[in-house]
Amino acid sequence: MFETGLTLNDLKFMGQGALITLQVTAFAVIGGTLLGLLFGIIRSQVNPWLTLPLVFLLDIFRSVPLIIQLVLANAFQAIVGLGLSAFTTSCIVLALYTSAYCTEIVRGAISAVPVVTRRAARSLGMTWGQDMRQIVFPMALRVGLPSWIGLTLGVMKDSALVGFIGVFELLKQSQTLITRLQEPMFILIVAGAIYFLLSFPIARLGGQLEKRWREND
Amino acid sequence: MKLSFISGSLLAATCLATATGAFADKLDDIMASGELRCAVVLDFPPMGSRDAENNPIGFDVDYCNDLAAALGVEAIIVETPFPDRIPALVSGRVDVGVASTSDTLERAKTAGFTIPYFAFTNVVLTREDSGIETYDDLAGHTVGSVSGTYEGIQLEDSIEAWGDGSFRPYQTQADVFLALSQGQIDATVVTSTVASAIIATGQYEGLVIKGDAPYLVDYVALIALRQEYGLLNYLDLFVNQQVRTGRYQELYDKWVGGTAPNLTVSNVYR
Amino acid sequence: MFNYTFQWKQAMRGLPEMLDGALVTLQIAIISMVIGIIFAVLLAVARNSNSRLLRAPASMWVEVARNTPALFQIYMAHFGLGTFGIHLSPFVSLLAGITFNNAGYLAETFRGSLRAIPSTQLRSARSLGMGPIQAFRLIVMPQMFRIAFLPTTNQMVWAILMTSLGVTVGMNTDLMGVTQDWNNRSFRTFEFFAIAAVIYYLIAKAVTMGARLLAWRMFRY
Repeated sequence: MFETGLTLNDLKFMGQGALITLQVTAFAVIGGTLLGLLFGIIRSQVNPWLTLPLVFLLDIFRSVPLIIQLVLANAFQAIVGLGLSAFTTSCIVLALYTSAYCTEIVRGAISAVPVVTRRAARSLGMTWGQDMRQIVFPMALRVGLPSWIGLTLGVMKDSALVGFIGVFELLKQSQTLITRLQEPMFILIVAGAIYFLLSFPIARLGGQLEKRWREND
Repeated sequence: MKLSFISGSLLAATCLATATGAFADKLDDIMASGELRCAVVLDFPPMGSRDAENNPIGFDVDYCNDLAAALGVEAIIVETPFPDRIPALVSGRVDVGVASTSDTLERAKTAGFTIPYFAFTNVVLTREDSGIETYDDLAGHTVGSVSGTYEGIQLEDSIEAWGDGSFRPYQTQADVFLALSQGQIDATVVTSTVASAIIATGQYEGLVIKGDAPYLVDYVALIALRQEYGLLNYLDLFVNQQVRTGRYQELYDKWVGGTAPNLTVSNVYR
Repeated sequence: MFNYTFQWKQAMRGLPEMLDGALVTLQIAIISMVIGIIFAVLLAVARNSNSRLLRAPASMWVEVARNTPALFQIYMAHFGLGTFGIHLSPFVSLLAGITFNNAGYLAETFRGSLRAIPSTQLRSARSLGMGPIQAFRLIVMPQMFRIAFLPTTNQMVWAILMTSLGVTVGMNTDLMGVTQDWNNRSFRTFEFFAIAAVIYYLIAKAVTMGARLLAWRMFRY
């Protein structure tokens, strides 16, 4: 009924690509979230004038196409002689890219915590650290988690671009198969389905959480 | 006094470290690491392609394996599409490029070329129904090629000289063939070897070769970093030995068939 | 110090062509946003409607657009449709891919902002004698746009940045395409892409500033 040259071996080949996609995404999200937490806290606590250079720097990551950031980073590490693999370069660039967006999420989440609550905590004798950990964190998490999940999924989809500098993630592996088998539509649909299956359940979960945690009027 | 002593010894240590490093060149590094990373183009049969298990095969792949065997190291095939060969070399992702790289003077400003290890003639590849019979018929059609390749640049220049028709650059050879078979472009100019190989696979229906392209013989060479003279000299000797021992003809018989092309240009020494 | 000599003069030679490319980039982004917004409004209304026939395809469009990479969508428009004999030029397939993506994301945004408008607004408009389309156009849509303005601006910036993906389907007249063309001939990757990055940054900033100015003027009381 339906003939295709795609073999189980080829699906495994695509699976390897999907694994690389997940690895790059994982590194980027973990690194980016840690940096984002740091920068977000700095941005929400420190005088806006002092954080201006940081804001400017992070803004660059959001205003330049990701593909150009990857190519530039790759060219730069070659010039400086760092000798990083394309995979490492991709992880670093994606982590910085994630941190730029994560900073905004963290800042928004922290400012969503009512100031009066925080002042009450301090007046009860809590230190700044205790206030942050025990009062702000649980409340900010509820506000920020749905956006953070959206960011994670966005990074996973943007990871398709790292194929441009030679990392063999899912879309690039699919291209290899298309070259060999000449069935672009079918192979692309399989690749798209894999991306969809990786992304959709988590997106749904985020939507559910958002609905459950949204403040009732 | 203490500070100047510390800084002085640090400076001396750095000098020593870089000094010992400066004598080890790329050839030494390859032999020391036990790995030879070759840039190979894998959408360009019979020089490079993938078999049914997605493993790299081809003339260039065998050539890289021979080179690694000669050096006594393991060969690692790094797939690069055509526009990415020299960037991969310059950025340190690969040690040498066994990727059918035409030895143009423009590229020689950035990468170091060896003596030619293969030679191509370029032909017009088109579909049967396109109505193109010769190279000059390409005027007025939509043509395409891989961005930055020898034949791609010449084709684009021709289109501009004719003033009629359009040129589409693609990022890989595979995309060009896909576009040609789907009708997005009417014709392309490629090497005779890949044209024959692509038609022989039977994957694309209706592709035909229609005449030669009026370009000079396309000599391709191995590439390495421009300043790595030790490695480039070794590669020159390696190419010579491949021809001398008959391995060149052997590989040519295996992958293309017939008499292997002459790699010299007459009346000039080198 | 570096094992590389920067050749900025050579890179500057490409600047006029790159600026022309930037114009093409803006063209694609603007067209894709205009068409995308139209489709997004239709999709948002379809998803909120009661008929299954409208909801299902609209939901599919939105979910596919939001759960697959933009590069994949552009590839589909060019090579995927090509399998069926539908030949879209690189310009059109890039436009189609970005518009598909824009429509999907904006549909979600508009759906959220539609929800944020109390249903009493629409009901009072109807009870004043306005027809359904009139009420939607005069009462609901202005409020929807006000709420959705910031996310729509973000999507515009994303559309501009997404045009850079056109280079993978043979697009050589937009900013990224021109830069990659120069790069492939001269191998001065860092110089050319650094200049392109600056141009993209300036365009993105200009759009954001312009939008903020527009918002300040439009949404004054």
